[in-house]
Order: sequence, then structure tokens, then C-alpha cells
Amino acid sequence: MNVTLSHLVNDDASLISRRCWTDPQVYALEKKGIFARSWLYLAHESQLPEPGDFVQAYMCETPIIVARGMDRAIHASINSCTHRGLPVCRSDHGNTKRFICPYHNWSYSVEGQLMTIPQERELQHQPDKTQLGLKAVPRLDNYQGMIFGSFDESIESLDEYLGDMKFYLDAFFERFDGGIEIMGSPHRWLIDANWKLPMENQLGDVNHGPYLHAAVIPPEANEEILRCGYSAVPKAGHGATFRLMDESTPWEQLAWGMEGMGGILGGTEVQEYLRETQAKAVERVGPIRARMKGLTYGIYPNLSFLWSNTSFKVSHPRGPDKVEYWSWAAVPADAPAAVKRVLRTNYSSFFGPGGILEQEDSESWMQQYLGANIDFAEDRPFYYGLGLHDEIKPDPDLPGAVSITANEHYARAFFTRWRKQLEAVA
Amino acid sequence: MTNPIELQYQVEQFYFHEAELLDNRQYLEWLKLLDPDIQYVLPSRINAQVENRLRGSQSMIAVDAELEDKDSEGCPLREENIAHLTVRADRAYKVNSWAEHPPPRTRRLISNVRIKADNQGLLTCRNNFLLHYCRPGSRNFVYSGERQDCLSFNSDTINIRRRRIILDYADVNYPTVGLFF
Repeated sequence: MNVTLSHLVNDDASLISRRCWTDPQVYALEKKGIFARSWLYLAHESQLPEPGDFVQAYMCETPIIVARGMDRAIHASINSCTHRGLPVCRSDHGNTKRFICPYHNWSYSVEGQLMTIPQERELQHQPDKTQLGLKAVPRLDNYQGMIFGSFDESIESLDEYLGDMKFYLDAFFERFDGGIEIMGSPHRWLIDANWKLPMENQLGDVNHGPYLHAAVIPPEANEEILRCGYSAVPKAGHGATFRLMDESTPWEQLAWGMEGMGGILGGTEVQEYLRETQAKAVERVGPIRARMKGLTYGIYPNLSFLWSNTSFKVSHPRGPDKVEYWSWAAVPADAPAAVKRVLRTNYSSFFGPGGILEQEDSESWMQQYLGANIDFAEDRPFYYGLGLHDEIKPDPDLPGAVSITANEHYARAFFTRWRKQLEAVA
Repeated sequence: MTNPIELQYQVEQFYFHEAELLDNRQYLEWLKLLDPDIQYVLPSRINAQVENRLRGSQSMIAVDAELEDKDSEGCPLREENIAHLTVRADRAYKVNSWAEHPPPRTRRLISNVRIKADNQGLLTCRNNFLLHYCRPGSRNFVYSGERQDCLSFNSDTINIRRRRIILDYADVNYPTVGLFF
């Protein structure tokens, strides 16, 4: 292949070639080097409470069925019939005993085993059905209810893969007695952009907020980020941005959920719930993390978690030039139903396809693709050097490399890992 | 009791006026058409599982079964009140609302206006729309859907009390669904 990785990403990852975003050969390497070898987010356990429950997912462009089997274990299978390749599951979610291919009616159990071949009774020799099930995703693991799958049988455990990212994830997930749950199907949004930019946007780039979103985000919110905002890289490729508020901060300015439209407009029942949740935070996550007010998180390669406007997001590639961006509202599982319905609007008012804020982001992602795809500018790669020579000192309370948010170390770490994984397969 | 033909005419004229305001980007004027207690909902549309026991029945293929609506445990794309809609309208007048500067070009065709019920000054109406949308430097998009409205109707004014928008999409293949439908 005509790809020299050091020409795409320089050694300190401060210069990123436009081809990283547009070249079909690079995209082919991403599939082989990254999507075949990473833990990819599939679903949340709260979506699959009962045997037979299923949801659809993707691993890169490959359609996946995630289901709770009759054995109550989680199973993930490629959604493609072994006979002629049609998808055997056509609904976003549901509950079933069998997945049936519409073409010749081959049927599969929710665990993915081939159960019946209607044509076989006419034949003298029957095929061995035990060898013809849906292809299983070889590795599955779970952290805080988040189910991940990997095509790499020898990949490290999810626990090791996440590493110190767990410290930051727990700062959110451990706040709630019953954990969190997902509300409904994902919003699936097709955007003419490369998959990496939505990911980078949530990985650490809060620096666009005061500018791209100035029409909606008030200056005080940005001043707060300048005053006490951090960008942590617990492990290359992962990232967490958050504000570490003063101990004297009043609860209304500290509590998770109070920043969104649901928290602002939701009324006393919602605000009382958020106050009580914050009141338990010290006991549940400790004094440092109780003062954390998160912004955006990223888990390599393509999962984002938006703490402030609580949403999971996955950036599914559809070629180098298109992304199918999935997003879900997440709410505390133990909240009253009426409170959950208000809190989901913390997500949907600002984010997702109807969000007042994210329409600016998606426009930028589309325009960045156009800018990456121009001619006569190969010698002018994108500059990722902000903060390259600034010292990042270890923090006694916060794991990983922890910096002010203007430092683009999170993106350099991502592309360093990205280059290494592509070099391994180029 | 208003003459039904006259009422149909008044409601249609109201919708044409509303479309004209929006296509002329007169968003602050449009806000004045809204009841201060407006509920504005855009349900999410999913690929629902077909229930075998419903086969042969109308319910098997009901549109409502594909919607994650306001009262569901799912997540509508939008569920807004006057505050949300005012933020959106105000945004259009700021130079840094980058997705829509330069402003998008839109054209709304409103048709199939049906008045379903007339209940003491509240009208239940449905109408269909096609909305052409393009941003400079981008593709053209056409949104197709139905608006299910509740209008408050006095002798000389009509206000929108509730609006539920059913968009005919499979995947959201639009740059935004944050428009005024």
C-alpha cells in the first residue's frame, strides 16, 4: 500500500496530514489496525433486562446483534445470514426467540445458533448446523454496564484497556445507587464527515466552545472552564475534560444535571432530585471527584460520553467521508419516571440531530472534511501543536497527564496511538 | 359556529402566512404566532419490531408504533416549549450561529390541511409539508412530514398551542432537524 505513516502523522503528532481524514487506503488500514483490534462499544446492559431482549449495534461498518440469551448471558453476533448474507434482524430493538432470514427462512436463536434450514428436509444429506451459526463476536466484556466487543481474540482485558480512564468514568457512574440507564433507541445521524472528528471533539476539544458556540453558550460558562477546567489523558487515546470546582461552590453550580435545559426548566422535583444526588456524591465517589463537574469524555477509538448533557455517542465510520453518528440519552436508573423524562432533554435540547448546539459542530465536521479533501495543500498539514512544549506536571489527585484545556495533548496522544496501530498493519 | 368552508380558508391562510414568515426568516414575527404555553414535539422514529400477534391488523403497521414520543420511555428528537423556541429564534440573528451563516435557503409547501375537531376555540388540525433546505456550500435537502397541531382560535387571531411533527425519515440524513417545521 502506498501509505507511509510517518508522512501522515509526524513523530510528536503535532502535524496531521489531510489524507488521514480522506484517503480510502488510510481508511482500509484503520479497519485492519484499529477497528479489528480495539474494544468497541456495543450497548448498555439496561437495554437488555430480559432473556430474548436484543438491540442492534455496529462494529465499524459491520452490523451486530447484541442480545440477552436464554442463559441470561450477553451474546453478540454479526447480523448476516450464513446462507446468503442478509441481515436476520431488521428492527432496532425488541424481544424474540428467533431471528429469521427473510430470503429462505433460515432461523437463528438469540444466542446466534442456526436452528432450522427449511430446505434441508428435501435433501439426502443435511449440513452440520452447529458450524453454520451467525459469526459470534469473539470477545465481550462489560464496565459499569457498558458492553464492549472486540474482534481481536487476544486483546487485553477491558479493565486494562480502560486503565485509569476508570477513575474518571467512576466519577460519574458511581454517583447513582442504581447506575444509569439508556432511554430508547439511538438517534442515528448521517453526517458527511470523517469519523475521527466527532471523536476528537469529545475527547478533549472544549476549546472550540467559546467560539463556535458563542451564539448559545454564555461567557460565564467559558470563564468557568478557563478558571478550573482540566483535560486529562489517563491513557493515550482516552480523554476526560472536566471542571474541578472549589469546595465552597453552591450545590446549584456543582450538581450534575443542573447545566442542561431539563435541569434549568425542569421544576422543583427535578432540581430536588439533582440536589439529593449531589449530596451523596462525597460518600459515593470521594471528596475530589464529588467536586468534579464533567464535560466530555472519549474512549478509544470511537465512543464518547458527554457528562454535562448526559449522552453516549458512537462515531460509526461509513467510509472516510461519512459517519453514522449514534447518540443515546442516559439517565440515572433510580430516578422517578417523570424526572427521567425531563433529564433526557438535557441531552436532546442541545445535542443530537435536533440539538441547538451540535448543529454547529456537525457543520464544522462537514466543513473540515471539505477542507481536508482539497488539492495542492499536501505540504500544509493540520497543526496539532498547541501546548506541545508546555510542561505537564503529575497531579497527586488526578491520574494521567492532566493539563489546562487549551493544550492539545489529548489529540496528539490519540494520533500517536493511531499511527502506531496503523504501522502495525501497513 | 363558523362556516366550515370559511374556517378551512382561515386556517389555510394562517398556515400560508406562517410559512411565508419562516421562509422570509422573520423568526421573531413567527414567535408571535405561538401560544406562550406551546408544546413543540418532534418524536424520534425507529424501526420497530413487528409483533407477530398483531399480523393482519391495522395496528401491525401503525405509524405511532414507530415513534418515541413525549410520554414514552424513549427519547424524542425534540420536546420544547417557548423558551427553547425563543433561543432558536434569537440564535438566527447572531453572526456566530455558524451552521446557518450564511443563512440557509428554505421553501415550505404546506398542503392537505385537515381540520379534525373544533372544540370551543381549540382546533385540532393536521397538514403535510415539504421543506426544501440548503446551506451555501452544501447539498440540498428535502424534509417531508406531517404536522399535528392544536390551534387556539379567536375571531381575529390564531395561535399554535401544540405541534407534533412526524418526519418521514429512516435515518436522519439531514444536517439538522433543529428547524422550525
